Amino acid sequence: MRKEYGETTALDGVSLEIRAGDAVAVMGPSGCGKSTLLNMIAGLDRPTGGSVVVHGENVGELSEKGLALYRRRRIGMIFQFFNLIDDLSALDNVALAAQLTGTPARQARRRALELFDELGIADRRNAYPAVLSGGERQRVAVARALMNRPALLLADEPTGALDSRSGEQVMDLLLDLNQIGQTLILVTHDEHLARRCASRLVEIADGRVTGEHTLEPSA
Amino acid sequence: MRAVWRAARAAVRRRRLQTVVIALVTLTSTAAMVVALGLVDAASAPFDKAFDRQRGPHVVAAFDPDKASDEQLERTARQPGVEAAAGPFAQATVELPDDAMNFGLGSQITVVGRPGPSGPVDRVDLWAGRWATGPGEVVLNRQSDWTADDLGKKLQVPSGPDLTVVGFAFDLSRTADAWVAPEQAAALHPTVTQMLFRFTKESQAPDASSEDRLRAELATLTEGLPAGALTASRTYLTLKQQVSSSARAFTPYLMAFGVLGIAVAVLIVANVVSGAVISGFRHIGILKALGFTPGQVVAVYLTMISVPAVLGCALGTVVGNLLARPFFEFVFTGPDAGVFHGSVSVAAWVNAVTLLGVPAVCVLAALAPAVRAHRLPAARAISAGSAPRAGRALHLQRRLAGSRLPRSVSLGVGLPFARPGRSALTLAAVVLGVTTVTFATGLATTMTMLGNAGRDAYQVTVYASSFKHGKEVKPQHGDRELESLLRSLPGAREVTARADDDIRMAGSAQDVMLEGRRGDRLTLGNVLTQGRWMHRAGEVVAGSAFLRQNGLRVGDRIRLEKGDRGEDVVVVGEFMESNARLLVTDWPTVTALSPNEKPIAYHVKLRDGADPAAYARAAKAADSGISPTPTGSNSLTQTIVGSATVLTLMLTVVASLGVFNTVVLNTRDRRRDLGMLKSIGMTPRQVTVMTVTSMAVLGALGSLLGVPLGVAGYEVVVPRMAGAVDLALPPYMTDVWRAPALAGVASAGLAIAVLGALVPARRAARLTIAQVLHNE
Ligand SMILES: Nc1ncnc2c1ncn2[C@@H]1O[C@H](COP(=O)(O)OP(=O)(O)OP(=O)(O)O)[C@@H](O)[C@H]1O
Ligand SMILES: [Mg+2]
Repeated sequence: MRKEYGETTALDGVSLEIRAGDAVAVMGPSGCGKSTLLNMIAGLDRPTGGSVVVHGENVGELSEKGLALYRRRRIGMIFQFFNLIDDLSALDNVALAAQLTGTPARQARRRALELFDELGIADRRNAYPAVLSGGERQRVAVARALMNRPALLLADEPTGALDSRSGEQVMDLLLDLNQIGQTLILVTHDEHLARRCASRLVEIADGRVTGEHTLEPSA
Repeated sequence: MRAVWRAARAAVRRRRLQTVVIALVTLTSTAAMVVALGLVDAASAPFDKAFDRQRGPHVVAAFDPDKASDEQLERTARQPGVEAAAGPFAQATVELPDDAMNFGLGSQITVVGRPGPSGPVDRVDLWAGRWATGPGEVVLNRQSDWTADDLGKKLQVPSGPDLTVVGFAFDLSRTADAWVAPEQAAALHPTVTQMLFRFTKESQAPDASSEDRLRAELATLTEGLPAGALTASRTYLTLKQQVSSSARAFTPYLMAFGVLGIAVAVLIVANVVSGAVISGFRHIGILKALGFTPGQVVAVYLTMISVPAVLGCALGTVVGNLLARPFFEFVFTGPDAGVFHGSVSVAAWVNAVTLLGVPAVCVLAALAPAVRAHRLPAARAISAGSAPRAGRALHLQRRLAGSRLPRSVSLGVGLPFARPGRSALTLAAVVLGVTTVTFATGLATTMTMLGNAGRDAYQVTVYASSFKHGKEVKPQHGDRELESLLRSLPGAREVTARADDDIRMAGSAQDVMLEGRRGDRLTLGNVLTQGRWMHRAGEVVAGSAFLRQNGLRVGDRIRLEKGDRGEDVVVVGEFMESNARLLVTDWPTVTALSPNEKPIAYHVKLRDGADPAAYARAAKAADSGISPTPTGSNSLTQTIVGSATVLTLMLTVVASLGVFNTVVLNTRDRRRDLGMLKSIGMTPRQVTVMTVTSMAVLGALGSLLGVPLGVAGYEVVVPRMAGAVDLALPPYMTDVWRAPALAGVASAGLAIAVLGALVPARRAARLTIAQVLHNE
């Protein structure tokens, strides 16, 4: 796959195969194209060359609406800066993901609450993003990503804006998820974290894959 | 200073769309404001303005040339109290042959010898051709909304040389029907010398006695002249009364539109500008972090706003002036509107006010939030947007999140509450837009009914005379014969003969026009405002203006006189009529006063589906001495309905632009949220629905508030419009607020909102997420 932004080549022929249940960590220097890679997989943008195929579906060929539905059904995404809606409570932020698919409010909130329980933030469900700590916000974001039971969970430096303790917690969470079968692609700068929760490590530099390692779970 | 300029330029470049919106909004708002203020100005005193522009004479005096020489008259012009005078001009009364083509001038005209159209007094508006300078040339007094087709044709004068029409001029003061060169006047046997006087300000106090004052002034002027030298005189006050009545009817309506236009324009400009500053808070924080002083930050923002605002304002003024010209001509140059060619333009003060006022509004609107930004600590400004919001708004969001509405809709409903200030300003603009639409709809409905009133009573009017090759031809049939002939033609259902008899009312100096009806339809049901129609001889029905101006009421007895005959009659009803001379009665009452009165016209009502034009042709073929005329359209109604439509469209567009801007700003503010929503699977359609819903909420609220306001405006303005011309409206004409009409105007708010929101909403839907998330 290739991706160019005008003059800039963000991805210069990346080829990757990821199997269900994998936990892949993507690492590399700043600006090497990690986020771009994730965005292509998430269907947030289209590659300029090559293709992204998920469950036999060529993502680059989907219509705008098709892409939206693809993201809705297959992808859960976590960002460095959480991207929560400020004037919705934590619970409603999460329920939102299901409500967009037409799930009634009551049902969506019930499912969100289950996730809150699982992620250990049930007591924060009625709080607003502005009063949550970074770690809490990221866990809310994880809950939102999981809301529609995505095939792929994509995390772009999920711990980048967190202190090390909160970062650990979020990482543990991702690890747990992977262990119950959630496919995970994780971009991080933190090799320690990558080794802890990924089974594969992909190294990227200047838009190319420069190395691939299988990792033994350290824990 | 250079840093400020550079930062402002960078900011403008980064917000191209917003800059364009500011320019566009100031442009349309300024244009609307120019038209609105221009209307208010022009409507406030159209006669006085036109009269002043023509430097119309306060008094037109006629002197006997045998008693007062030109030198003596010239001396009167130099008396104290005279501001300016024109003349002496030779004036002739010219009989035109009845059978000649006389350009609608009538059979007897006043011709004045004048060297040119301008001068110190009475600058007539020469709107076609040129002035008469040589022998055999004439300029006719005609309103510029007529055609100038007749240029070059000949006016036959039996008592003198034939004259070629070389020009058309309009003289508001009606000092002559036609003008010739002074040398030419002698050949027309002048009998009178005309003088036109304007008096200095002190002598024209506009109180009740000013008519007397003007006459006193004239008496002083002419004291030194031989007795009997002054043969006739007329003051401008009579003229003013006649000319400005239809313009008076326009005034409240145009004022209402003007005020609405100004309010919408100011609101929207304020909204756009303050919104631009508020949405820049983050940027402000960054500037501060870079070391800009608070003063410099304010300067950056003012510069960023002023450039497009000033540009938009300047262009808007130009556009407004360009628009105003054809529009005003259309509104003001109807028959009797009293305004003439080329004189309708935007007053200089209007341009001054908008050119200074709109930028001032912009600066004021920018200043408030800019000063807030000035005080904002850099850290707070950078994080602006993620501050916790007010409890009530959050509560509402929670309720919405739990509602049964599709989530994209409930998110949209919640959006306006995230920015209450901006939403309130947008709402205000929508409210005013809806108010305008409501008001205009009511007005147009009434005006249409007014225009149609009595029209279904007949479709063809057959005048009992005709012109052929410029000669009058009399009908071949007698009165009764003609009536039965018209009744027998195919398509005819009812024939009503009408006579117009000039009579007098005892105790009143004014002429009365007694309209006598005979035949199938003595009454016009839908114009009756009080009482009933006449049932027997001796009963009359009076126009509302007649009753009002004569201080009479339904039930009063009056005495009508003609020659040595007199008749006592009772006023049994009142009908809608602004002609203050009109009384309607049955045929025997007319013949009691004028035994030989003949109908001047027959009104024919056709069977449903019959073609008026075909009937008219058939009638003409049956008797070439009659002029059958299908009922034409009503120009006053057209003018009001037309101008109301134009103004409404304009204000609707401006209000929609306000909504457009709000959506652009909201989208900009919420880009991050939008990107996220799309990343979790919101479809482009859902984004559009959400964004349009957010404005539709304001639209619906706008309708809720705007419709009652518009109805109230209608209730205030329409009776005043009618009252200004002494018109009583039958109740059904003001009963316009039926359910379908209300539903129609109520949808205006939605229309404005959806119209304004759709384009930026689709833009938001197409936003590339990766781009947004990358940039934030
Ligand atoms: N939307 C975009 N428009 C233009 N250029 C972009 C866009 N997104 C990424 N780029 C460019 O593509 C290259 C790769 O960017 P990307 O964000 O993928 O890097 P990254 O590996 O995620 O870096 P970081 O570790 O700093 O997050 C960079 O040079 C970046 O400037
Ligand atoms: Mg990145």
